[in-house]
Parts: sequence; C-alpha cells; structure tokens
Amino acid sequence: MNIDFDVCVIGSGAGGGPVALTLAEAGYSVVVLEKGPWFTEQDFYKDEIACCRRSTYTPSLRDERHVIEEEDGEGGWEAESTFDSGWDWWNGNCVGGATNVMSGFFHRMKPDDFRLLSAFGPIAGANLVDWPINYEDLEPYYDKVEKVVGVSGRVVSHPYLEPRSTPDFPFPPTQEHPIAGWIDTACKEMGLHSIPVPRAILPRAALGRRGCEYSGYCGSYGCSSGAKGSSRAALLSRAVATRHCEVRAHAKANRLVSDKAGKVVGVEYFDQTGSTKTVSARLYVVACQAVETARLLLYSTGPRHPDGLANNNDQVGRNLVFSAGGSGTGDFSYAGLDRHRAQALRVRGPFVNRALQDWYTIKAKEFGAPSKGGTIEFLMRHPNAIARANPRKWGEDGLVWGLPLKRKLEAYFREARYLRFEVFCDWLPTDNCFVSLDPEVQDKWGTPVARVRIGYHSHDLKVGHYLADQAESVLREMGADNVRSSVSGSPPANLVAGGCRFGNDPEVSVLNADCRAHDVENLYVTDASFMPTGGSVPYTWTIYANAFRVADRMVERLGGPRVASLGGKAADSAVIDLNQGSKE
Amino acid sequence: MNVLIWIQVDTLCLICITGGVMRVERVRTALIEADGGFFRNWRKELVSRRTFLARMAGVSVAALFPLAAGGASPAPKSNAALPDDQQAVLAAVQQHLFPSEPGIPGASEINALAYLNNVLADPKMDEEEKAFIRNGTEWLEELVREEQGGAFTGLNAAQREQMLRRIEQSSAGENWLATLLLYLFEALLSDPVYGGNPDGIGWRWLEHQPGFPRPPANKIYGKL
Repeated sequence: MNIDFDVCVIGSGAGGGPVALTLAEAGYSVVVLEKGPWFTEQDFYKDEIACCRRSTYTPSLRDERHVIEEEDGEGGWEAESTFDSGWDWWNGNCVGGATNVMSGFFHRMKPDDFRLLSAFGPIAGANLVDWPINYEDLEPYYDKVEKVVGVSGRVVSHPYLEPRSTPDFPFPPTQEHPIAGWIDTACKEMGLHSIPVPRAILPRAALGRRGCEYSGYCGSYGCSSGAKGSSRAALLSRAVATRHCEVRAHAKANRLVSDKAGKVVGVEYFDQTGSTKTVSARLYVVACQAVETARLLLYSTGPRHPDGLANNNDQVGRNLVFSAGGSGTGDFSYAGLDRHRAQALRVRGPFVNRALQDWYTIKAKEFGAPSKGGTIEFLMRHPNAIARANPRKWGEDGLVWGLPLKRKLEAYFREARYLRFEVFCDWLPTDNCFVSLDPEVQDKWGTPVARVRIGYHSHDLKVGHYLADQAESVLREMGADNVRSSVSGSPPANLVAGGCRFGNDPEVSVLNADCRAHDVENLYVTDASFMPTGGSVPYTWTIYANAFRVADRMVERLGGPRVASLGGKAADSAVIDLNQGSKE
Repeated sequence: MNVLIWIQVDTLCLICITGGVMRVERVRTALIEADGGFFRNWRKELVSRRTFLARMAGVSVAALFPLAAGGASPAPKSNAALPDDQQAVLAAVQQHLFPSEPGIPGASEINALAYLNNVLADPKMDEEEKAFIRNGTEWLEELVREEQGGAFTGLNAAQREQMLRRIEQSSAGENWLATLLLYLFEALLSDPVYGGNPDGIGWRWLEHQPGFPRPPANKIYGKL
C-alpha cells in the first residue's frame, strides 16, 4: 500500500508547527492540513474591523458553530449554540492557527505545575493528577523554543523563578512603556517582585524575520513585521523551506480512518470546493486546538474504536480546562499627574511587560495549607478604538446618547489611560467540563459540532479573587483611581487545554507520556489537549515545548534524522523567504 | 394599538427566550467589568443577541397585529436597498444619537448613514441583524404615527428624544438603539477605507492613534 507522507499533521498552530519543522528538518516528508486560509505578512494590517469586529481569521458562525452548556442555576445545564449566543469560540483558524493573533506573553510552567496532586494534595470534586513527565523533561524544550521561536526577556531573581539551563534569554526584552517603571517602584515598596514578561516577540531582526515595529497593536492582530513568534512565521515558513513539508490550506479534516487493527490508515478531508480527499501517512498528529481535537477524535469511529478514535476508555473530551481567573483595571488621569509623568503615560507603542508571581503558591490563613496560586499580568487597555468607545453608550440607567455621549467619549479617550491586569490561575479539571458531539447541530459539511460543558470548580474563584485583590492593591499603590476587578467562572475561549490528557494509566488518560494515544499506535496529539492541568500561565510556550519534545520522540521512532539538522547557528543565519504562503 | 408595538415585541421575545431581558443585562454587566479585555477573549457584547435577533427576524408589524395587517406593510426583503423614507428616518435617528457640533463631528460628518448602508449591503453580515435594523425603522415610524400623527423626521428634538427614550424601555427598542450606536462608533473610528471617519476625523477628535500599517483598499474585510 502506498503511503503519501511520513507524517500527517492536522492543524498548523502551536501544536502542529514544531512537529512539522522537526520532522521536515530531520528529512521526513510532512503534510500539514489546515482548515483555514494561508495569510502572509502582506495580509495583516492594523484594521479593527477585519481583525476584531468581523470574522476574518475565523469561520462564520452560521457555517460552523459550537454548542455551549452552562449551568442553568437550577442544578441542570442549558445549551445554546454560539451562533445563537454570539459567543465566538473560534481562535485563529488559518495557517499558524491562534498563534497568529496571540499576545505572546510567554511563561514557563513551574516544577510544581507538573505535580499538582502530590505538591498540594487532592481537592474534592477535582480530577487532579500529576503529569507523567516533570519540569526537567520539558526544560530543554522550553530552551529550544526560546531560540527557535524567539523569546525575548530578561531573567531576574524572584521566589518562583523556575530552574533554567541558560542564564538568560537569547533576545533582550522588547521596548518597555514608562509605566513599567511605575509598577516596579510600587512593587518594590510593597516587597513584591515585579518581573519582566518574556515575549514571543523579536526586539530586532533575527531568525529570518523582522523585529517588532511597536505599532501598539499586538494581541488579536496578525503581525505584519513577522516579529511575533507565530507557528506560521517562526516554524512553518522554515519547515516549508526544507522542501520536506507541504502545507495544505483550506483542508478541513473530516475524520481519521482506522483499520481492523485499530491503526490509522488515512485522513479524509474536504478541500476548498467541498470535495473529499484522502491522505495517508506513517504517523498521524492531531493538533486542532483542544475542543476541535476532541471533536475530531470522537467523530472518527472505526472497527476497533466504536466510540471514537483513542476513546476506548471513554476519556476523550474529558477534563477540559481553561485559564481561570479574571481581570481588573485602574484609571490614571493625566490631570492627576505632573507634566513629566503625564507625558510618559501618553507614550504609545512599547509594551508594559510586567507580571507578578509572588503568589504562585498562596500561603494565607484563609486557604489553610499552602495552595496553588497563579500569575498576575499587567497590560495597557487594548487600543482598539471601537471596542473602547462602544461600552461608553451604557450609563447608569440605560443608554447614553447625544451630547452627553460625546462628552463621555472625550473624557474616556483624552483624559486618562487605563492599566489593566489579568489573573491566571488553574482551572481545576472536573466531571463538568468536557467536550462531546452535539446530537443535533451540524456544521456546513453536515458533521456534528462540538458540544462543550463549561462547569467550573468553586476553588478556582477563591484563588482568582485572592490574586485579584493583590493586583488591585498594586494599582492603588501606584495611585490609580477607580480600581475594580471581575473574577468569574466564565471561561476565556482562547485559553483552553485538556480533553486528551496524557498519563501512565489508560483508564484515566488518553495519551501516554509521549503523547501517543494509548490505544492507537500511530496517533499523536500535540496541541494543548495533552495537559492534565494547565498551570497558572498562558499555555502557548508549553504547547510549543511539548510539541518539540514529542516530535523528537517521533523522529527516534522513525529511525532518527535522515539529513543533518538545520538547527542552531545555521538556522539563525539562514535567509528564509517569509512569504511562501499562497492564497489559493 | 400600535403604541404597544415595542412592548409587544419585547413580550414576544420574553416568551421565546428564557430570561431574555436578564441575559441582555448580564451581557451589559460583563462588558463593563471586562472593559474590553483582549488578552482573554471575554464574551463580546453580542452574547445572546443573535438568539434575540433570530426571534425578531420574522417579526413585522403585520405579524404582531394580524388584524391590522391591511394597514401594515410587510418587512422589506433584506437585501433590497432601503427606501428613501426609511433612509431619512435612520439618518435622523443617527443624527439625534450623535449630533454635530461646531468643530466636532456628528453622524453626518462621519458618513454614518452611508456606512450603515454598507453594513446592510454586506452579504456576509447576519441577515437577522440587518432585518432587525430595517424593521426597527418601521416600528419607530408606526409608533410616531400613532403617538404624534406624523413622521419621525417631522418631530422636533425634544419629541425625538421622547420617542427614542420611549422605545428604549423595551429590550427590542434598547437593542435597536444599541445596534445603531455600535455602527455609529464603527463609522467614527474604523479605518477611513471603510467609508466612515473621513480623513480620520473621528480619530483626530478623540486623539486616537491608529496602528500601522493601515489597510489598503484591496486588503480589507471582505477582500482578504
């Protein structure tokens, strides 16, 4: 039987890119199937309408939707489709996936994040487990991501600094907004350790990409300079340049076909015209973002997998997690500052780049024993103008319009800036947070959409509130007015993991320690789905690092590198055409 | 009888959707609290609006008041251009919501009506939302005819304020006005390539610094 490729990767984001690059550089033939289009740097502009007010990088909710199940307040669950609710659950469906539009706040997980159960003990109602690997197993790959994707930052000593194999980042920090110094001063006064936030953003030209141009619009936007370390710019461009990797855009995987032995023998996908195509490979990698990965596996039934691929223990889709926490804001009025500080505050372009991890473990009376805490990120209010203007129409008793609205807009836009914080803490895995196939709702191809139950554990809110209180006190120390925050159990749909967690026990996990399915010998999952717990930081760096780790296992399994690797200095100096992407 | 149109629409909404009004309130609270965070994708303003709009889509004066059907015109087909009288009503409502001042742009200076017409002509926009914008114009006209015996465009500023505050009392009316305000903000602050905000007049007024590079005409929403 003819096999088309050595490896077929479904999904081109943070989980797919490292596998495609590693295998292609090792000389293996790789095909990447991406549902969305292939945008290049020449397609990304600072256009709030295209970026953020219409569906440009994600599908139309009319064509493709999710069904979200929320607690109905009476002990049951109520389901609503995202088309009906308008709550869009898609993230960057295009070559490079959601990494195109990430903010690139990169933190490593801490050693304790790999052993939450043994470090902090069980919590009733939470399906806590330790990871089957530890921090030391992943450290070389965190390091690799720093060099290959390009992470900029500056290591400073603080109580929760994770062990590093190198003294500092390969790239110095991106330019910082003056308010970063105000945060540092306040934190020092309070005995806290404000830390420079590592970013997946190049401060200068390197790795065949341009440096950051500091337009002030980063998160939610595609990067027009290539400085942002998206899977597309940092990994797939290079993978394609090896000539061992083919990226097929507009290729929507329909199902993985498995044989009587339970092995995957091909992927059926729809091309842009809706025609069904098939591709085969020796090894298959699913990395479609947690919700869609679970959906695809559940839909891919076969003779040995009657309830879905890799689902013989009914684990696929379970233990979905998000980043728990919340956010808050403090106002800084120009009028309340001296001229120099007001002028400094007006600066636009550079990043705030400050975070606090002083409460990564909480040792507070109300928690009893030491408890897992999290990260506080500081950032300026996003500059998107329509998004900033629109909430101003709501007053105390209904809508505001006419001249009062115009005065309100003037005050909001001209008289102050708004420093925000985001709290990241663990979303405990529970039996009430999972993905299944919707029994009725279908997408435009006539296949069942994912149904996501989004129950949360009340402990998450307790931790979130504790951290938000600490962050508020920093804003007050800085002199901010109108400090407020919001912590809720409503999940951010762009920070999702789990659903195919890895582990040593097939009864309660989907993947083994190498992220290979327990019951499918040639199937791997490399997006955030593998994570049994999510840590208290954004996931992207960990997804990248783990995907590089799994890719190494795959190369070993296939017999080692076929060609000398391009890694290290050679890659750094290689001239790479960033614009291989083609719009079909 | 038609005085009750907006309230009736609201009731219909409440019957169809469990806790319809409460959900709108919740959305508003979430929005204010989240303050437009982009780091995390919080629920956007449109939460549950489409459910609302879908229920509104088939609603016309005729549907609500079958007995009065003879006197009420059916909702226009959603892709047809708005007739001139409805254009005039929309322009007048926009101007009331966002009035012009000396040296400060209002609805007419930011090309708000032309912008809204572009939205209504966009084949990718929700048909329900487009129909809702159109139908609201008709409902407003019906209400004004009943209450004031004329057209909205014939009212003075105080009467316009009174009518709009009146319809705001229903969730249908509040949603309709909130929708018009959203597109006013888009006309004020989107890139001029989309037809509003001529020469960046809205950006200049609010001292807003747009990002760069800015989109060329062949790389905008709908053409990417």
